[in-house]
Amino acid sequence: MTSTIDATTGDTPRFVRADGPDKVTGSGRYTADLTLTGMLHAAFRYSDHSHARIVRLDTAPARDMPGVFAVLTQADVPDVHYGPSVADRTLFANDVVRYEGDVVAAVAAVTPELAAEAAAAIVVEYEPLPIVTDVEAALDPDSPLVHAGWADYRSGDVRDRNSASYSSITKGDVDAAMANADEIVRSRYVADASHGAPIEPRAVVAEWEGDHVTIWTSTQVPYDARAGVCETLQLPTNRVRIIVPHLGGGFGGKCGFHFEAHVAALARVAKRPVRLKFSRAEEFLVPDRRREGMVIELESGVMRDGTIVARRGRAILDNGAYTADAGFFPQVAAMHIAGPYAIDHVAVEAHIVYTNKQPSGSIRAPTAPQACWAAESHTDEIADRLGIDPVELRRINAVDEGRVGPSGQTYGEIGLRRCIDIAPGLVGYGDELPDDEAIGVAIGWWPSFSVPSGAIVKLDDDGYGQIVTGAQECGTGAVMTLRQLAADELGIEPERLRMVYQDTSVAPFDLGATGSQTLFNNGRAVVAAAAQVAEQLRQLAADRLEAAPDDIVLAEGAAHVAGTPDRSIAIDELARIASGGELLIGHGSGTPPAAPELSGSSCIGDNGMAAWVAPQFSCHAVRIRLDRDTGVVRVLHVGAAHDSGTIINQIGALGQVEGGVMMGIGQALTEGTRYDDEGRQRNAGLLEYKLQTCADAPPITTEFVQIATAGAGPRGAKGLAEAPNVATAAAVANAIAHLVGRPVRHLPMTAERVWTAMHRTAEQEAAS
Amino acid sequence: MSFTIANTIDDVLTALAAGARPIAGGTDLVVGARQGKAPLPADLVALDRVDELRTIGPEPGGGIRIGAGVTHATLVHDATVVGAATSIADASALVGSPATRHVGTLGGNVMNGSPAMDTGAPLMVLDAAAELRSLRGTRRLTMTELWTGPGSTAAEPDELCTALVLPAESDRSGSAYVRLEYRRAMEIAVVGAAAAVTLADDGTIARLAVALAAVAPTIVAVDVSAMIGHRVDDNVLAAVALAASDTATPIDDLRASADYRRHTVGVMARRAVDAAVRRAGGEPIGVPVNRSIGIGVAS
Repeated sequence: MTSTIDATTGDTPRFVRADGPDKVTGSGRYTADLTLTGMLHAAFRYSDHSHARIVRLDTAPARDMPGVFAVLTQADVPDVHYGPSVADRTLFANDVVRYEGDVVAAVAAVTPELAAEAAAAIVVEYEPLPIVTDVEAALDPDSPLVHAGWADYRSGDVRDRNSASYSSITKGDVDAAMANADEIVRSRYVADASHGAPIEPRAVVAEWEGDHVTIWTSTQVPYDARAGVCETLQLPTNRVRIIVPHLGGGFGGKCGFHFEAHVAALARVAKRPVRLKFSRAEEFLVPDRRREGMVIELESGVMRDGTIVARRGRAILDNGAYTADAGFFPQVAAMHIAGPYAIDHVAVEAHIVYTNKQPSGSIRAPTAPQACWAAESHTDEIADRLGIDPVELRRINAVDEGRVGPSGQTYGEIGLRRCIDIAPGLVGYGDELPDDEAIGVAIGWWPSFSVPSGAIVKLDDDGYGQIVTGAQECGTGAVMTLRQLAADELGIEPERLRMVYQDTSVAPFDLGATGSQTLFNNGRAVVAAAAQVAEQLRQLAADRLEAAPDDIVLAEGAAHVAGTPDRSIAIDELARIASGGELLIGHGSGTPPAAPELSGSSCIGDNGMAAWVAPQFSCHAVRIRLDRDTGVVRVLHVGAAHDSGTIINQIGALGQVEGGVMMGIGQALTEGTRYDDEGRQRNAGLLEYKLQTCADAPPITTEFVQIATAGAGPRGAKGLAEAPNVATAAAVANAIAHLVGRPVRHLPMTAERVWTAMHRTAEQEAAS
Repeated sequence: MSFTIANTIDDVLTALAAGARPIAGGTDLVVGARQGKAPLPADLVALDRVDELRTIGPEPGGGIRIGAGVTHATLVHDATVVGAATSIADASALVGSPATRHVGTLGGNVMNGSPAMDTGAPLMVLDAAAELRSLRGTRRLTMTELWTGPGSTAAEPDELCTALVLPAESDRSGSAYVRLEYRRAMEIAVVGAAAAVTLADDGTIARLAVALAAVAPTIVAVDVSAMIGHRVDDNVLAAVALAASDTATPIDDLRASADYRRHTVGVMARRAVDAAVRRAGGEPIGVPVNRSIGIGVAS
């Protein structure tokens, strides 16, 4: 078999993304572009308070408007509490509203303007309830409760009152180790909430045919969306079909089940197709997906030789009003505040805590950028205290082959040390710099997720074919990489294979564009499916070439006998022959790799996120310039070294790293959600929520460390979508700290915060 | 509800007299309507095909006349503007994105009346006048007379801003605009400052004007008369910074605290004067100053 991949360099031919021309030329259709005959427009009535009891809800003024076809509240849908972690939510706020974006009612009308007018005409009267906004105060036993009935919710998580999920990792004897340490370093950090901010605000279109509903929706996870519709509307799986047109980005913000059921319910009552299209403000305010704010306290016992002997840590995560998929966040946050270090004595814990704010949910590498920012700033504080070079301190303590991580996982050969060796040099670490420039370094890690997935591969009579898969494309590169994998199995060009995907009634299950898992799991399924077709081709060729099937090689569009390239037959010809007999169809799923064994540590609130299959490692080094008069920081160059296993598609992989780095720079410097005293967002728009732009992008130099890892995916690949977003903000922070003389303890490290930290007195610093 | 496509200024003035509102690039009007700031006016008259509004040329009797319909994209590259009113080019280069600069106009920026507008401080330090025309006649207002508060001007509803008129510039003059920005595109001034200077033969300051953006209800001038006759040095620049900070009456908002604005507007004023003086002395400092010696200098 020849390969489209150069095994030594990972270089791949630069073939055009299958969805690229559509998206670049504007001919691609997104959910909001769909128009169905007789289609109505949906609008939501949102809560008028951050926390209040509904004492009167009168929809008659909306229902009485000509042109309004449906008005729904919780009274009109099944009485179901749902939520993947804690079943703390209903489709519509029932009795109590808990954040500004809580949906109280929905309207379908002939125009978007009329729908909005009707939603506004609904009469809602409230009795205000005490508003919880501060995560630390929310843990106080006397704090008002966001969910008075929390104890009755269905959940597998460790919970108590406003603490919606708790997790801890304990290893060794921290107290004793701290007592014997040469130095104790303590730090506290606060991270603001932020957003995934995909360029496409979400849209949903639903249409019923009899008792079956088809829903077009901008989701990253169509099967999850289907499950949510089935659960909340009490429908069997077979009656719900989810189709995703082109998706305009997600970054985690479109993971989970959102408003598909609301629109389907409206369409059923209205007996017409209905479309919901969010404004940019709604995209900021309403979905249960923001990157949670976090308060992190860290304490490390260290020896003068640089060994970190003990780590105590506590993270409090802001859950917002409902738990969404965030039940596992405390465990991931705990892993990150412990960090990819072989520390013998560890006691870390994390709570995710209800507040009356927008619910949090998975945004690219959930919890990691903030937790890594804190932990890696802390690492530099240790280096500073000990007078050890921060890169060297990381070499001394990093996990490596044979060393044991915080959760009791012992590693095989991993690439973290090589990442640490490479990244600083990419930006000139150690060179003399102007006095307004500095380099910061940070390391990060992220798991690969091992889950079931399926695919079908078929070749038609012309030797072209399709990959029919549940995989979802939101920028994952599935449109490129899956085709490469199948094409290599079949000995044909990747361009010969089309993707048929993003339709739950057509393809086998896949988890979707979430958890960096597409290549890892669906790649395995596609290879297995293509291998079946390849076996069929070899059998056909063997018959024609009078050779054993095992001696047939598929390459460059032909089947030939190994060692005898002259004895060959075109795959086109084999495909034509097969079309008159047994058709060329393969299906595959493969076995997900098993989680590694843990020993020597214990976890309370274990969500399965302490044993990391095929873990990914990274080191980012960032060179910045600080304008000392204003506190404005400009990132000049980023060096990123990643161990994500084998790189199958170099151009796609570079895109993942560059995108993750840019998102990390935004989180570091400009992206933060601001709230008023009642938990309302104050900057829910793209002028005041400052994403980085192309003009801000520095040169990003990436190197991949490609080594074999146990439990990896196809051809040794691990995940890569989230890992590049982990360490950038931390590296920027460490560069800033070098120039300011102390860390800026509040994320994002805005110009004003940097400037304030520069002018802080020693007493103020001690008090902070 | 009506939408009039005007071809001449008289078409526009007739429509305005009948109650229509003018629309040029629409980068404030349309965006504001979509954000729910104010609904689109029922009757609009489009200015984009009025050629007379899109010219840059000499003003009879000396000076430069810039049509109100000239886009930022043109101002950034126009040789006359870059040569003799460089601070306007500095400002236009920073407005929004390439798309915004392609349709957004100088007149629109001025008449929108935002205290954070980028071209306002340059126009003020260059002693510009706004030409307002209506069927009733033509008048000229100084920028100080024109801007009466955030989002408001002294123009009557039937008046159209047709041009910004700049007096002739003396030899050894230069101007610059610098703003504080948190990113390099799609940004709005956190604070900004413009300076225009004319140097005497002995290198001392013969004329100096400084104006500030986003630190008061309108663009404000700073009293820098005490610097006249001095040679520009660190002491003078420090005095400019202090005067600017003292003139500012900023607010706390999402973009910055009042204290930070008061401090940084002084920094911007100092940098603007420094750049203007260097330009007056013949040093070629590229447009915009922000990318040459100011905030977020290129790597």
